[in-house]
Amino acid sequence: MASIRTPWSKISPLHRQEAWTGILFTLPWIISLITLMIYPILDTVYLSFTEYSVVEEPKWVGLDNYKEIFLNDASFKPAVSNSLYYALLSVPIGLVLSLALAMLLNMRAAGIGIYRTLFYLPSLVPPVAATITFLVMFEPRGGLINLFIRMFGISAPSWFDDPVWAKPGLIIMSLWGIGYLTLVFLAGLQDVPTTLLEAAEMDGANAWQKFRHVTLPMMSNVILFNLVMNVIWSFQVFTQALVIGGTNGSPLESTLMVMVLIYRNAFRYFKMGYASALAFLMFIVIMIITALIFRSSDAWVHTD
Amino acid sequence: MKPKSNPSLRLNRRDFLKIAGLTGGASILAACGTKVVTTPETQVPIPTQPPAKIPLSFWTPGGSDVYCKGFGTIAANYMKDNPNIELGETKCNPTGENYTEVLLANIAAGTPPDATIVWTSPVTYAVRGAVIPLDDFMKTSKYSQTEAWPKGVLASCLYRGKAYGLPVTAGTYALFYNEEMFEKAGLSSKREDFPKTWDDLRRISKEFTKWDGDLLKVAGFIPMGGPSDFYGMAVEFPIWSHTNGGRVFDNENMKYTINSEQNLQLMHYALEWWDEEYHGDLIKVNTSANWAGYADAKGRPPAFQEGVYAVFNSGFWLCSDMYAAELKFERWNVAPYPVGPGGKETASGYWPNWLVIPKASPHPKEAFDYLDYMSAVGVRTWFDNIPDLPTNANVPNTLVPSLVVKNRNQEFAANVTDFFRHQLDVATPMWNSPVEDFYLDKLSLALEQILSKKATPEDALGEVQRACQEELDKVLKG
Repeated sequence: MASIRTPWSKISPLHRQEAWTGILFTLPWIISLITLMIYPILDTVYLSFTEYSVVEEPKWVGLDNYKEIFLNDASFKPAVSNSLYYALLSVPIGLVLSLALAMLLNMRAAGIGIYRTLFYLPSLVPPVAATITFLVMFEPRGGLINLFIRMFGISAPSWFDDPVWAKPGLIIMSLWGIGYLTLVFLAGLQDVPTTLLEAAEMDGANAWQKFRHVTLPMMSNVILFNLVMNVIWSFQVFTQALVIGGTNGSPLESTLMVMVLIYRNAFRYFKMGYASALAFLMFIVIMIITALIFRSSDAWVHTD
Repeated sequence: MKPKSNPSLRLNRRDFLKIAGLTGGASILAACGTKVVTTPETQVPIPTQPPAKIPLSFWTPGGSDVYCKGFGTIAANYMKDNPNIELGETKCNPTGENYTEVLLANIAAGTPPDATIVWTSPVTYAVRGAVIPLDDFMKTSKYSQTEAWPKGVLASCLYRGKAYGLPVTAGTYALFYNEEMFEKAGLSSKREDFPKTWDDLRRISKEFTKWDGDLLKVAGFIPMGGPSDFYGMAVEFPIWSHTNGGRVFDNENMKYTINSEQNLQLMHYALEWWDEEYHGDLIKVNTSANWAGYADAKGRPPAFQEGVYAVFNSGFWLCSDMYAAELKFERWNVAPYPVGPGGKETASGYWPNWLVIPKASPHPKEAFDYLDYMSAVGVRTWFDNIPDLPTNANVPNTLVPSLVVKNRNQEFAANVTDFFRHQLDVATPMWNSPVEDFYLDKLSLALEQILSKKATPEDALGEVQRACQEELDKVLKG
C-alpha cells in the first residue's frame, strides 16, 4: 500500500487511480470547504484591517480596528468578561448535568426510549421561541420560576431586570439545550465494557468507585469532545442574549456577549471591518483555549 | 440463454463515483463562477422599442398583515393611473430578519429594491453612500417639493444640504394622561389645565404615586418616560433637552452637545425626582409593572392601559395602538410637554417612516414617482390601515384614526389628530446624525447607568459625548 512518504512516481498505477478516485469523490466537499469556510475566514482577516461599510469598497486602515478594540471601545471589556463568565459557568454545569442525565437514561427501564426522546426534544425548539418562553417563566413577580422559589419562603431574584442575576438566568436557560450533550454521553456510556464494570463489582467496588475508576476513564474521550464543543458554543452564545438584552446587553450591558457586540458593529453601525477584527480576535481566543484543552488532555484522557 | 453484456460498456462503482465527484465539483465551481463580461461585439443588440412595462420593487422593514396588505392596495391604485409601471408585491421584510442587515446585503450584492421604507434615519445610510439624493427629483415632482414638508421633519433626511429621504409619516410625541385618574384625584382633566412646567408635573405626579412595600402600585409620571424602555427614553431625550433650553446635536456644524449644562441640569432634576418619588430603585420599579406603551416580552400588559399610570409620553401611533391592549378606562387625553427650569418653550419630537431609494436602484426616476404618489395620495390608504401621521402638505387634514372614532367619537378623534399635527410645528430636530444608532445605543446605556446610580450624569453623559463625537468625526473623515 502507498504510504504518505512514497514519491508519487513510485506509486503503482492502480494505487494512483485509487488516490484520484478518492480525491474526485471528496471534491465537492473540498470545494465547499474552501469557498464556504476557508475563504470567508481569510476574507474576515483581510477585512479586519480595513474600514468597510458593506456599501463601499474596503479601505485599508492597518491596525486601527485592533487599537480601537483595546484602547477605545468601552463595551469590549464588559462583552469579554460576560462571555468568559458565561463560558466558565455554563460549560461545567452543562457537562455535569448532561452526564448525570445520560447515566439515568442509560438505565434499563420500561419506556426509557420515550424519556430519551423527551429529553432531546428541547434541543430542537427554535432558540427565539424558547427564549421568549423563558422570559415569561423568569418574570420576577408572576413567573413560574419565582412562584416556585417563593414556595420555599426564599426571596426570589429579579432575573433579567437585575444586572447581577441576568447572566445566571442566561446560564440556567442554556441548560434547556443539554439534550445534544446527553445523547453523545449516552452513546459513550453504552460503549463502556460491562465486563470491566462487573469485574470492578466483583472486586468490591461501590457505585461511586465504579463510576470514578471505570466509567469516567472510559468516557474521557467523549468528555473531551463534549468539553471542546461546549466551550466553542458557549463563546458563540448570541440568540438568547440578543432576545433578552437587545444589542445593548440590557440590563446595564450584563447580557452583552462578544457575538452580540460583533453583530451590533456589523449591522447597526455599518462597521464591518471593526466587526471582522472582533470576530478574528474571538477566533484566536477560542483556538487558544481549545489548544490548551487538547494539551491538557494528555493528563486526563484515557487511551488504550 | 442470457446474452453476455459488452464489458467495455459496463460502468463499475469506482468509475461511477469518479464521475459523480467530478460532476459535483464542476457544478459547485460553475455556481461560484464570475459574471460573463460581454465585449461590444458579443453584446445583445439594444431593442429599438422600450419595454412594455417598467418593473418596480418596493420593500418595507416589516409590519402587521394589515399594514403590509395596505401597500398592495396603494400599488394597485398607482398602477391604474400609471399603466406603464408594474409594481411587484410589496415585500414586508423579506426574510423577517433585522432589516438594515437585509437591505445592506442586497445593496452590496447589487439587488436592492427600487425603493423602500426605512425605520432608521436616512442620514445614516446617506453618509455611507447607501442611498441616493432626491433633490433633483423633488424639484420636478408633483407633490414632494421641499416646501411641501415640515422643515423640522425634513431635517431628519438632510445630509450636507441634500435630502436623502422623504419623511412620508411622522408620529409626533405628546404626554398622554388618564382623565379619569385626574378627576378622581380632584385635578382638572382639561388639556389647558395640564401642568406647563416640570415643577407642576412633579407636584401632581405625587398625587398619584403609591407604593405597597417594594411594589409600585400606581405611578404619576416617571421622569423622562419610564425605565421599561431606555432606547425609547434615548429617542425622546432631545425633546426633554429642548424643553430645558438645550440641544443634543448641531447638524449644521456636525457637533454633539450631549453633556451641555442644560442637559446635565435635566438629568440632575430627573434623578432628584426619581429618588424622591420612586425610591431611586430601577429594579423595583421595573419589576412592579410594564411602564412602556405595549405589552412586553414577558407578557405584561402596559401600565397606562391598565389604569395604574397617570401620565405617559408616547407618539401619535399610541392613539390607535392603545386599544391593542385591553383599556381599563375610557377617557384619556393628550397635552404638550411641560417646560423645564432652563427652558422657555414647549417642544415635541417625531418618529418618521422614511422613503428612500437605495444605491443601484434599477429605476430611480420611476421609483421616485411612486414615492411622490405615496407621500400625498397613497398615504391616505396607509392611514386607513395604520394611522401614521402624514406630513406632506398635500394630504388633507381631515384624516382621523378610525379606532379613536370608534372608541371615543369623531370630535375627539379630530381634536387629538389636530393637536398632534400642530406638534410638528414645535418639533425639535431629531434623527439627523450620521451616527444616529451609535448615539442612541450609547445614550440609552448612559440613561440606564444614571438611573441605576452606576454613574453620575457628568460621567455618563460625558462619555456619550466623547464616544459619539469621536465616532462622528471618524465617519465624516471616511
